[in-house]
Amino acid sequence: MTTPVTDPAGQAKAAIEYCYEHGWTDGLPVVPATQADVDACLAMTARGGAEIIGSLDHIGRSITVAQAAANAVMAGCKPEYFPVVLAAWDAVNLERSVRGAWQSTSGPAPLIVVNGPVRGRLGINCAGGVFGPGFRANATIARAIGLIVRNGYGIRPQQLEQATQGLPGRWSLCLGENEELSPWEPFAAVGGVPAGTDAVSAMLIRTCEYVDNRATSSAEAVLADFADTLARLGAYVGGAHSSGGLVLGPEHAQLLAGAGYSRAGVQQWLFTHAVRDRADLAAAGKGEHAAADGGAGGGPFPMLPSAAAIPILVAGAANAAMSMVFRPFGWAPWSGRSVPVAWSQACRDAQRRDDGEVPQ
Amino acid sequence: MFDSIIDPTVGPPAGSVPGQVVLAPRPDSLSGLRLGLLANIKRNAEPFLNEVGRLLGERYGVQTVLARKKADITATAPQQMLDDLCAGCDIVVVGVGDCGSCSASAVADGILLEQAGVPAVVICTDAFKVSADAMADLRGAPGYRYVTTPHPVANLTPDGVRDRAAAAIGDIAGLLTRQASLAA
Repeated sequence: MTTPVTDPAGQAKAAIEYCYEHGWTDGLPVVPATQADVDACLAMTARGGAEIIGSLDHIGRSITVAQAAANAVMAGCKPEYFPVVLAAWDAVNLERSVRGAWQSTSGPAPLIVVNGPVRGRLGINCAGGVFGPGFRANATIARAIGLIVRNGYGIRPQQLEQATQGLPGRWSLCLGENEELSPWEPFAAVGGVPAGTDAVSAMLIRTCEYVDNRATSSAEAVLADFADTLARLGAYVGGAHSSGGLVLGPEHAQLLAGAGYSRAGVQQWLFTHAVRDRADLAAAGKGEHAAADGGAGGGPFPMLPSAAAIPILVAGAANAAMSMVFRPFGWAPWSGRSVPVAWSQACRDAQRRDDGEVPQ
Repeated sequence: MFDSIIDPTVGPPAGSVPGQVVLAPRPDSLSGLRLGLLANIKRNAEPFLNEVGRLLGERYGVQTVLARKKADITATAPQQMLDDLCAGCDIVVVGVGDCGSCSASAVADGILLEQAGVPAVVICTDAFKVSADAMADLRGAPGYRYVTTPHPVANLTPDGVRDRAAAAIGDIAGLLTRQASLAA
């Protein structure tokens, strides 16, 4: 028998406080998760609840699909977001630098990129204000990853997590790529998943920095502006170059494509031009690192590891010529592998019906 | 009242985390003992341990027989590396934990060596006591004692590293010889 609820708002607040008291939140309120909520999430994915999706031997913890579902619910995800959360988690775990990421003083953030029709179905923003906030799917899918790390691995700030400063938006960076306004193939296609397929890609990043350039119609002038930010000394840690990528606003992307640049052409231009004089590095106390990375001697020092290791995607509104440089964590470039979303059979059937492929 | 709310922290264990750790018995004296050094790849870690080895030899009569460097700062040392240290050494010095991951994993290495019967002393910078202690708790060794040196170590000159090693050497020798116990 269920006790009648006389004060539902009070009860909801008490349940939220219960979660705070147990240390389960990232500082914001969470949605208390029940078995029914978890089951609703599991019904959306082709994967079993007991499957282990992450394991850290050195801290003795593993994470199951069902546990991830509980954390996704707590983050505010709808059940249908959960297969995207799983794909995002897998994509993050493809990153070479992920094993040290959660405890690192660098405190890196997953940058999650979603491609395919799922963007429209779930309302994943890929246009204005794409870095957020304001869109439930973007905000909660990214937040779910943070709660899985916190609650699944038990890695909490100022305990096993030792981020020196962290960064704004650590658990809130989930972008839909603006495929409709991108002149190039979807980012997930670069990662090996065909266009038109729901897929998630992820990188671990240390910050984003805008490049505002509405002043020119010259593709090379805009590229030079990007290269300047990509070659910033502060991002250079030593040990094997630094790393950088671009979330191009649609205007910049179209300007570059209109001038004949492919994605690979942009990457090559930036790799060639994102260089610093070794004397600049020495003046910042980083000459020893640079010598180890590229040999001693004078001349320009390439700040990025290779052309292919400059991830480039397109997101945002076509209402101003600005783009975002992001800085991958830990020397390692993007894994280069995107992860298809594993919908359950029931979801796939429903999607086909919605798309008019089979009669209702 | 909220029994139906799922605890999101409950998952299966991973690896072989021990239940209750018993520390290795300590020798009365370090004289004539075989010393192992387990360094990580952080800047100045190896020079720091080498200087510790030199001082333990000069002042306490230890002979350094084995120096190993682990490439992964996040994980514990590879099993073969730990086996080599256990087989060839009577005592081991581990360090230097001066980042979020490597401070915790250095403590984990120290505890693994203790469990294998080898007294170990871990060196961490004082900025990472919290993660070092958290790892000791996780590994079933709450209260595990280690030696701290002021943070940072990575930017020290060679002379600075030698000074730090000299400042820590008394604590290091002490932890290797005084019978140690964990928090109840």
